[in-house]
Amino acid sequence: MSVDIKNLSWEVDSKKILDDISLSISSGEIITILGPNGAGKSSFLKIISGDLKCTEGQIYFDQSNLNDISIQDRSFIRSVMSQSQDVVYDFSTREIIEMGWLDRGISNYSEDFKKAIDQISEECSVKNLLEQSFNTLSGGEKRRVHFARTLIQLWRPSGSDDPRYMFLDEPTANLDILHEQKMMKLIQKKRDEGLGILLILHDLNLAAKYSDQIALFNDGKLVDKGLPKTVLKEDTLSAVYGLKMHVEKNPFRINYY
Amino acid sequence: MVRSLLKDSAILQYTNPLQISILFIFVLSLIVIFFSSISLGSFSFAFQELFNGGSESLDSIVLFEIRIPRVLLAAFVGASLGLSGASLQGLFRNPLADPGLIGVSAGAALGASLIIVLGSDLIPDFIFGTLVLPLSAILGASLVISLLYIFTQGFGYQGITYMLLVGIAVNAFASVGIGILTYISTDSELRGLTFWTMGSFGGSSWQLIIPALLIISMAMFWMIPSARKLDLLQLGEPEAYRLGVDVKKLKFKVIISSAITVGISVSLSGMIGFVGLVVPHLVRLLGGVNHSYLLPGSALLGASLMMAADLLSRILIQPAELPVGLITSAIGAPFFLWLIFRIRKA
Repeated sequence: MSVDIKNLSWEVDSKKILDDISLSISSGEIITILGPNGAGKSSFLKIISGDLKCTEGQIYFDQSNLNDISIQDRSFIRSVMSQSQDVVYDFSTREIIEMGWLDRGISNYSEDFKKAIDQISEECSVKNLLEQSFNTLSGGEKRRVHFARTLIQLWRPSGSDDPRYMFLDEPTANLDILHEQKMMKLIQKKRDEGLGILLILHDLNLAAKYSDQIALFNDGKLVDKGLPKTVLKEDTLSAVYGLKMHVEKNPFRINYY
Repeated sequence: MVRSLLKDSAILQYTNPLQISILFIFVLSLIVIFFSSISLGSFSFAFQELFNGGSESLDSIVLFEIRIPRVLLAAFVGASLGLSGASLQGLFRNPLADPGLIGVSAGAALGASLIIVLGSDLIPDFIFGTLVLPLSAILGASLVISLLYIFTQGFGYQGITYMLLVGIAVNAFASVGIGILTYISTDSELRGLTFWTMGSFGGSSWQLIIPALLIISMAMFWMIPSARKLDLLQLGEPEAYRLGVDVKKLKFKVIISSAITVGISVSLSGMIGFVGLVVPHLVRLLGGVNHSYLLPGSALLGASLMMAADLLSRILIQPAELPVGLITSAIGAPFFLWLIFRIRKA
């Protein structure tokens, strides 16, 4: 099962932001998009989430065209996390997390749902914040709460194994290193449970450590994709970022100055 | 299969026990205020005698033909202003949104005033008078809301300042329009105009209010089930969409139902300020911000407060009456100032 993006292009005012990109996101795999600012990473994520319509190309979720999937059905097969807007009214953290589930509280599942909230907020280390007002949280805490919300969105009442995907735009922004590592490990755990995961990251070493596949973007084009060790090469990286890079083989590490 | 099971869950499942008891208290106070409103006033009743006596007595005419329609209208207008205030504040993600502040009421009043002053010339016999007036008010309200929609680029987050500015412009435009109409109106038309700008529930009759009450109730039942979606909208439009909310549909629903309820309310009772702004804040302060509680709560509390304001307007300077809009604005304006200071602190 996979999300297949075929020859996707996106133009704004006849300027090509994305140019002929083909990529697959498979179940049970973490694929990370890397690239400098303005490479088109976030636009790509918005288009495959359905926020924006591409100019050319096709997007298939398990063989169904994204255009043929209803807005509500889309929310059942993929969750998306990106930079969030402020919440004006004073919701509690618990309420914010529960918003991941549009139709929470169906009586058959309400007990299971409570357990799921407990478990997921534990995993995202936000359990002690649940009854606090969301607006009083710090930037990093808010980020973890939103992550918990995207996990709740893909939660299933029973052991259902329908394919699900998670698209995360810089999930670790604002996080301290402890929570950064915790979140990446949790993302790996979700991969092992069968989710297909697309990440956008800036930290090359974080990407190398946790990704199964890397897709390198530059100037709206897909430069290279494949295993981290094959894509993250000194000359390609130095050219793409315009910065001298040095790749150590053992342990695998990218240094730049 | 899981998906179909999860759709369309009842609204009460999103409210907590505290909120349900608050809603219950709102209902109780609604009933108490309703009965005090119909029994108090410049003409008081001895209920005992009324129910023992014949139905032709003066008492029963005053009660059933004047007092009850008036109090009912006040309740429904209060409910629709409270509800549309709450849902517009949710839609705009702005606690300062209110059908009055953003010019919707003024648009409705201008529409109504146009018919009052020019209607008798345009429609010779004034045959459809009872219907044309509300329709024109609804049209005015919808026009303003469409203008807002265009100027704020689809009610985007960025456009919120514009929204209030457009509201100011529309209010100014409407007062110019009403001013011109005042200038060219005859004495009897002038009376009618004064009524719009200050608001009153006097002169309600069953023929006039029954269609209004039906339409307002329908709009409310159409709107309230969207409460959960308004919650999700608080995360921002893209987030709400990703969580499965058809944001365009939701906007359409909130705007159309607000235009209808506010348009009808204004057409029957004139401009009554601040209820739509103040009531949702009171409801939030009491029990929480989620819309499954906020929307029904604002409708109930709006109804109670409006009946109380109308009662005050009737008994303060008996046997004469104050315009009810004066009372709501006198209470609402200081509250609005307090709100601004509170937001500035936070």
